[in-house]
Amino acid sequence: MNIKRHVITVILSLFLLILLFNSCYSVRLRSVEGAYNPAAPIVRDDYYRDMEVIELDTVITIGVADKDFTYLIKVNDKCPTGKLHTVEYRNTLGGVLLSTITFGRKRLVKIKYVCMK
Amino acid sequence: MARTTKLSLNDWDTLHANGPFPLKTLYKTKLEASALMPSTLDRYNDAAQEIQKLIKEAKNKNMGFRAYGSAWSMSKIAHQKDSMHYNGHMNTYFSFMDQDLHALSSYEASNLFLFQCGNNIKEVSEKLAGHGKSLKTSGASNGQTIAGCISTGVHGSGINVGSVQDYVVGLNLIIGPDPGDIVYLERHTKPALNDVFVQKLRSRVIRNDGLFNAALVGLGSFGFIHGVVIEAQNLFLIKRYVRELKKDKAIALAESLDFKGFKSIPSELDSAGNGNIPYHYKVFVNQYKDNGNYVVELMYKKPFKLNYPDPFPVIKKSIYRDLVNLAVEIGSRVPSTIPIFINALKNSILPKVNEESTGTLAETFWDAPYQGPAFACSFGVDHKNSKKALEVLTKVSIDEGPIPGIFAMRFIKKSKATLSFARFPTTCMVEIDGVLWNEKKNIGTLKGFSKKMIQALKNSNIPFTIHWGKNADWAFPGLIDHMYGQDAKTWREYRCALLSDEMQKLFSNEFLTQTGLAIKETVNDPNLIKSLV
Repeated sequence: MNIKRHVITVILSLFLLILLFNSCYSVRLRSVEGAYNPAAPIVRDDYYRDMEVIELDTVITIGVADKDFTYLIKVNDKCPTGKLHTVEYRNTLGGVLLSTITFGRKRLVKIKYVCMK
Repeated sequence: MARTTKLSLNDWDTLHANGPFPLKTLYKTKLEASALMPSTLDRYNDAAQEIQKLIKEAKNKNMGFRAYGSAWSMSKIAHQKDSMHYNGHMNTYFSFMDQDLHALSSYEASNLFLFQCGNNIKEVSEKLAGHGKSLKTSGASNGQTIAGCISTGVHGSGINVGSVQDYVVGLNLIIGPDPGDIVYLERHTKPALNDVFVQKLRSRVIRNDGLFNAALVGLGSFGFIHGVVIEAQNLFLIKRYVRELKKDKAIALAESLDFKGFKSIPSELDSAGNGNIPYHYKVFVNQYKDNGNYVVELMYKKPFKLNYPDPFPVIKKSIYRDLVNLAVEIGSRVPSTIPIFINALKNSILPKVNEESTGTLAETFWDAPYQGPAFACSFGVDHKNSKKALEVLTKVSIDEGPIPGIFAMRFIKKSKATLSFARFPTTCMVEIDGVLWNEKKNIGTLKGFSKKMIQALKNSNIPFTIHWGKNADWAFPGLIDHMYGQDAKTWREYRCALLSDEMQKLFSNEFLTQTGLAIKETVNDPNLIKSLV
């Protein structure tokens, strides 16, 4: 009986782990037009190796009266045009849980974006 | 004023992670904001002044100074240990009117454009498209800057087109810190811009074929390339086909480049039933599997029209090199497994047979995302020797490796540039592209492999050249003289005639010294770099 319970627990744990693993994913949007703002020197070792990538990892709070939230892209040294070339949005289980338990008032934002040159 | 950021670094690396190489100072210059300086010409000249200021600083500190763009070269050609200048943000451009042209110019003003050094191929293509124009060819990719392309001889596989430098008609170089140290070079037999426009660039003009041809593939050592005048052409479409051909047939086409008898693509036959001449021909060779066939890529030029099928669903599929990286990591522990991995991954490495797409040059050679540390060795041979060279080089890759990469052959028309590696009537570039491996493991070193390839070509008496931006044993004794003979000396003479002793040193680097191209030549002809028109 104990063995059977253990097996069920292990299977359930594995299922949860798979669920957790799959709840983290990212989606990337990239314009076919335009050149990305380049990085110099080149230091990264990922998809964004030669791009000047801006990373946002924050929690935003939505006001009771607000329907949605808009993050503004402004001109700065890392974003000389204020126009977007690539955006990568990452979804995590933590983000989903945070939004759930705060009834959507707090939202975890994990975004990488690259501006047009 | 243009703004320069100065960074103190310990090292610098290429896009493809072929370093790191030691570096003390990195400069990055951005143009003045157009809101503060609306005139493009003013911003361009302002940037030139800024570069002269940096050159003066480097000179006063007895340091070297070298410009670079996208860092795509895999050799050390772009590297300078003292100071390097990143020019990717210097990206303005000019178009021309008839009144800007030289009286003897045979060019159409609407086809001429001056691009500042840091414009990359994608930016150039988009700016040209706004005028209904296109580049004639690219390096089959779009990330390199225009100045970087011509400095290293970047090429595609346009069999009747040539390399990027072959449509350059003028060069604006900054060769020192003083007034009078900005020059504009053209061919005296094919002048393009008139003196009035050149004066607007605060430059002195030198129209001299010999000097222009030497500076064209200047290896970053003829001064700071500030602007490049190119001849564009009307927008066109490319119809791309991927096919599998019998090896003999693919090689026969490579050796003859006679496509009249090539009738495998029914839509590319002329009214007499002969094969059309393709714009581009490329042969992919997996040296680890002989199934009697090669995958080939053919492209045909078509008139531009709107509403052609969306090419991106086909084009965006890129090589899954992360997967190849993993295979190499495993393979470097047991090298004999590398061919197995390459065969297993061939569908990810090679284009899909029977794939077809239609797009502009810029769309067909769209973005190539970074896919991990890479190497590439590329040898130029007369296309009539392509079969023999391929046999020799693939054998080395098997005997010395197995090396984690596959071969390809591309074709380029002869260039007029003195040090262009496209120096045969039609040059076949036999190239191996692959993933950098851990040299501490069981496979040999990349340098050792490239040395063996040079030796094998020499032993087989196949005249060859090497792509300046690719991996090679550049210290191989007598390599440059073997490849270029008297032309190497001619190149050095023009460089020494144009640059002062101090500037020859400032614009030099380890690559130039290693290859013997930094050697000072005595210039006996006082008129060597005289403007002839």
